[in-house]
Parts: sequence; structure tokens; C-alpha cells
Amino acid sequence: MKRNKLTPYLFLAAPLCMYSIWVIYPIFQTFIVSFTKWDGMTKMKFVGLENFQRLITDNYFGLSLLNNIKWMVGFVLLSIPLGLIFAMLMDQKFPGHKIFKSLVYLPMALSFVVIGQIWSWVLEPTGGIVNTFFRSIGLEQLAKPWLSDPKIVTYSLIAAALWRQIPYVMILFLAGLKNVSRELVEAAIVDGAKATQRFWYVILPALRPAMVIAITVNIIDSLRAFDIVFVMTRGGPFYSSSVMANYMYVQAFHNYRMGYGASIAVVQFGITLGFIIMYLLNVLKKEERE
Amino acid sequence: MRKFLLICFVVLIALTTLAKEKIIVNSYMSDPAPRKAFAELVKIFEQKYPDYEVVINTFAHEDFKTLLRTWLAAPKGTADVVTWFAGERMRYFAEMGLITPLEEIFQTTKWEDYFPASFKSTCSYNDKIYFIPQSWYWWGVYYRKSVFDKFGIREPRTWDEFLNVCETLKRNGVVPIAIGTKFPWTAAGWFDILNLRINGLEYHINLTAGKVPYNDPKLLKVFEYWRQLIDKGYLLPNHAAYEWQEGATFLFRGQAGMYYMGQFIKDVAPSEVKDDLDFFRFPIIDPSVPLYEETPIDGFMIPANAPNKKGAIVFLKFIASKEAQEKFAKDLGRLAANVEVTPPDDHAKKGLEMIVASSGVAQFYDRDTNPEMAEVGMNAFIEFMQNPGKVSSILDRLEQERKRIYSK
Repeated sequence: MKRNKLTPYLFLAAPLCMYSIWVIYPIFQTFIVSFTKWDGMTKMKFVGLENFQRLITDNYFGLSLLNNIKWMVGFVLLSIPLGLIFAMLMDQKFPGHKIFKSLVYLPMALSFVVIGQIWSWVLEPTGGIVNTFFRSIGLEQLAKPWLSDPKIVTYSLIAAALWRQIPYVMILFLAGLKNVSRELVEAAIVDGAKATQRFWYVILPALRPAMVIAITVNIIDSLRAFDIVFVMTRGGPFYSSSVMANYMYVQAFHNYRMGYGASIAVVQFGITLGFIIMYLLNVLKKEERE
Repeated sequence: MRKFLLICFVVLIALTTLAKEKIIVNSYMSDPAPRKAFAELVKIFEQKYPDYEVVINTFAHEDFKTLLRTWLAAPKGTADVVTWFAGERMRYFAEMGLITPLEEIFQTTKWEDYFPASFKSTCSYNDKIYFIPQSWYWWGVYYRKSVFDKFGIREPRTWDEFLNVCETLKRNGVVPIAIGTKFPWTAAGWFDILNLRINGLEYHINLTAGKVPYNDPKLLKVFEYWRQLIDKGYLLPNHAAYEWQEGATFLFRGQAGMYYMGQFIKDVAPSEVKDDLDFFRFPIIDPSVPLYEETPIDGFMIPANAPNKKGAIVFLKFIASKEAQEKFAKDLGRLAANVEVTPPDDHAKKGLEMIVASSGVAQFYDRDTNPEMAEVGMNAFIEFMQNPGKVSSILDRLEQERKRIYSK
């Protein structure tokens, strides 16, 4: 009996050990570094909250945070409805639905670095496909410098990221749709519910768990945005498309300000943790109910 | 069994006495051409000094820059020799005592026996030499001879002539000046040369050393000249969307007329354009200011924690020699640091003549400036290029950063 209780912990020991070394320990170390001034080479100097005070007045950090919020809004407001629409469409068995599904799913198979590179070409100002298209149909004024105009560059990056995010959300909803009970939908049909009514009152409530996962994942993904920004603009021009992760990288590894970089990481960690806790509470509540 | 152990023992003894001494070189020469040239150079060294075995570890350029700090700061060193840049970037490590002074190399010889006297200060910190230069290059205004001929343009010598050339090119539908500022160092090239032409070398050195305020009225003049080009629309549109190589393709295709760039622009030129490329000295703005140019120097240092310092010294002595420098310069069309080596081709000869006729040289903004200041500075230049009207607020902000960074 006693042995049985021990078994799961024995199995967990190895991953927990690795988790502590690769995740828990670095998190604590980052916290410590964030209270210091350190160039990565000479001795660390404890400076208390100075790094965090500086963050408050750092315009570029504010800009990066604002951009992260733009990413979050874009991810939640665009990828969730669009992903849901695609999932509803793909759930129908129309001819060629498999090919269509594969095509929508395709960007998921690519890494962010490849996606960033592809979109850099697509949005290239002179010969890129977007501007070439606008010019060819006589809409010259819509041919914009997508990646070099500080006012629109962040939206261009979000668009590129959505290309991969939407199919991801679609998969989440497709899996969720598999759990919607057929009988319930059929009962609704028998009761004379119209398609829209079926969607709003039967399917959508059944998709609630998938919806919670999709929103949480999107928020976390938007907060850890880095790859696309790094590949496509490096946060430029002059930090206008910078996000927190990117700004942290620049400060820590380019400017040799490990302490300041760590304080950015701590802020990012705090915000992300807030959303993760909200998600976990939701999951726990659900488990209790079951 | 005993016999076997004995044999093992004998073999071990033999191996240790015969074993070659290892020299480990960490290199950023990751591009195919320099990588090959360096490997061949090492072969020659091993033939000449059979007691040594050289191991080259090559890293991608950007990775190298971040990794170098880890190697230098580690309690137990792994590399004996590392590639790096002369100037402030080297001094940054010398100041912390993370690299070794190389006096030993010059015990029987003088610096001037190998290298130009003018290189000495940029390779030293506190009057001690820490850096062995290998090759260097110059910056100039590159253009295509055939494009200039087509519009009857002659190389401009003064700022007014330069503006005229820009106007002629623009009238003919050619973008006068190519530039790609996705990575902002290309803009730093413009900042440097304008400051050198307007305020001179001493002022520039003081500025990059953090001794001059960024909102100094003399510095504002640099941006006024720069602004003339921006306001007249002479620069490549949307330049922040392009890397420097992408900017260069406009020049190669004849869609842009000129490009202020280092000699390495030839490395990326297609073969049919390579011979059509030529350069001229950046035009004179203030005739009372002597001519100064940008000439970044690449070379080697020895980490303070190098396991085999003796071997590293032998290796760097070889690198400094005429034979080694000649081979490397010839393979890559650059200029050797060694004074006895003649330029490998006519193009390099022209570059050398330009530099010899100069009154002094600077390394480059991000090589002369503290890395953190360089990062904010270069981004500020890009911001200025997109919002020239905001110049005074941009410079005020840079001044705040300068105060913070140099107050450490």
C-alpha cells in the first residue's frame, strides 16, 4: 500500500529534477540578477530596486509593453473568431475538405524563423507580393512600407504571426468540436433550432473548455512573442516594433546590462504568471466539478 | 596482463613526449571565403612550427560577439587566441583585465617593424599592446563607373558637387544614395564621416569616448548636413526595411547611384558588377578640416585565462609576419596590417593611397564607442533619418543616455 503511494513520486523524480535545474533555478537566479547591476563578467553589484525604477521611466520599455498589449489584443480578437470560423467550416464534410484543412494547417508546420523570413519577402516594399498586388490593381496608395514605417510595423508583424496562430486555434477548436455530443445537436435539430441558434446555444457553450484554453494560450503566446520580431525587424526601426522579450535580449546580450535585462524578464514573468494562475484556477475548478 | 599494462605505459609515455602542443583559436570568420583563407593560413603555421597543433573553432559572427564574454569571464579558460576588433571594443576587455598584454611579442622587435605607427594607439590600452592587427579596410562612396558615365557624372570633391551629383541622378530616375538600415550600423557610417568632415578627428574621438555632450551645437551641424539629403529625398526610400546587402543590390542593379560603405561591399557584388564598382573619397565639407577616414581594423587577442599563452604568443608572432599577412590579404582583397605587404590589387592600392593621404583615421562608431552607447546612438540615427524634425529632442535624449552610461 505504502509502496503504491510512492510510485508516482518516483516516476516524477527525474522530470522534476530536470525541471528544477532548467526552469526553477534560472527563474530564481533571474530574480536575484534583477536586483543587481551586472555586465556578465565582473562582480555583481546589488542595487536594490534601481532597475525597476528605471523601467518605469524607460520610454522604450513602455513602448515594448504597449506593443505586447497590441499583440495580445490582436491574438485574442482575431485568431479566436477566425480560428473558430475555420474550425466550423472544416468540421463540415464537403468535397476536398481534407486538402483545404491541410492548406490551412500548413503554416503550423513551419518554425517562426521560417515564417518571419517568408513574410519579410511578402512585405518587402518594392518587389514584395503585397505591394506588387496593390500596384497592379491601381491601388498605389495602399502599397505601404510595411516593415519600415514605425506606425504600422507592429501590425505587420502581428499579421505574420496570426498566419500561424489561426490554424493553431483552429486545431484547438476542432478537437473541442469532437467532444460536442452529437445527440445534443440532433435533439436541437428535432426541436426545430436554426443553424445560428444551434451554434449560439448548443455548440458554443460546449466549446467553453476549448475556448478557455485557446484564450489562455493566445495570451501567453502574445506575451512571449520574440522570434518573428527578431527575424523580421529586430525591434526596429528604432525600437518601434520592439516587444518585451526582444528589448530584454537587446539590453542583456547586446548592451551587457544583465541586471536590467533580468528586471524586464521579471516583469514579463509576473504578467505571464498572472494569466497562467487564472488558467490553472479555471482548470482546477473544472476538475473539482468532475 | 602485466605485459599489456607495460605496453600501455610505454605508449602513453611515447604519446606524451611526442604529443604536439595545442593552440585553440576561436574565430568569427564564418563566411566561406575568410574561413577558407584562415584554415590555409593555419596549415602554413603548422608546417613551420611542427611542435604545435592548432584547433580552430568557428562561430557565426553575431553568436561570437555574445559568446566571447563567456569565454573571457570563465574562471578556467578554453581559448588561447580569439579574433576581435581593435579600438574601444578591445579596450572594453583590457580595462577589466580579461585579456593579456602582448609585450612579449615585441621584446626583440618594435611595433613599427611590423605595423604602421598610426595603428598603435587603437591596439593599445594604457600604453600596453593588447591586439595584433591582421587586416583592415577603408570606407568610401561606392558607385558604378558605367552609371556615372551614362549621365556624364564626375566624382564629386566638395559637398556642393556631391549635391549636384545627387540632383543629376534623381532627375534621371536613379535613387542618389543607397542605404539599408535594418541593422543600424550603416547609418553610423554616415554619422561618423559627416562628423569627421565637419568637426574633425579630435572632436569625434572625444565624442565616441563619451566626453562631448550629444546636444552640443557643433554636433547639431552634422545633422543639419545629413538633413539636406533627407529633405531632398536623396536616400533610398524605406531603407529601414533593408539589410545592408539588400541596399547594395539597388546599387548593383543601377537603380541607385552611390553607397557609402566599407570595402567589403565587393564581397557581395555579383561578378559582372565587381569590376564596374569604384569609389571616391567622401566629399569635403569644410576645407579647413583635414581629411580623416574610417578604417576598421580586425585582428586577434589572447584571453587572460588562456591555457597555453606561450603557444598563443608564437601563433600571433606568426600572424604578424609578412608571410602570413600577405597570404590573408591576397585571398580576400583587403589590406594587410603589416607594413611590408603591398596591396593585393589596384582597388586595394587606391584605398591604401587614400588612407596614406589622410591626416588620421577612426575605427567606426560602434567600435570606438561603449557598446551600450553605440546601441542607443545608432537607433537614434535611424529615428532621426525618419523624423528629421525631431532632431533636438532625439539628441537631448541621447545626452541623457550618455550621462547615465558614462557615469558608471
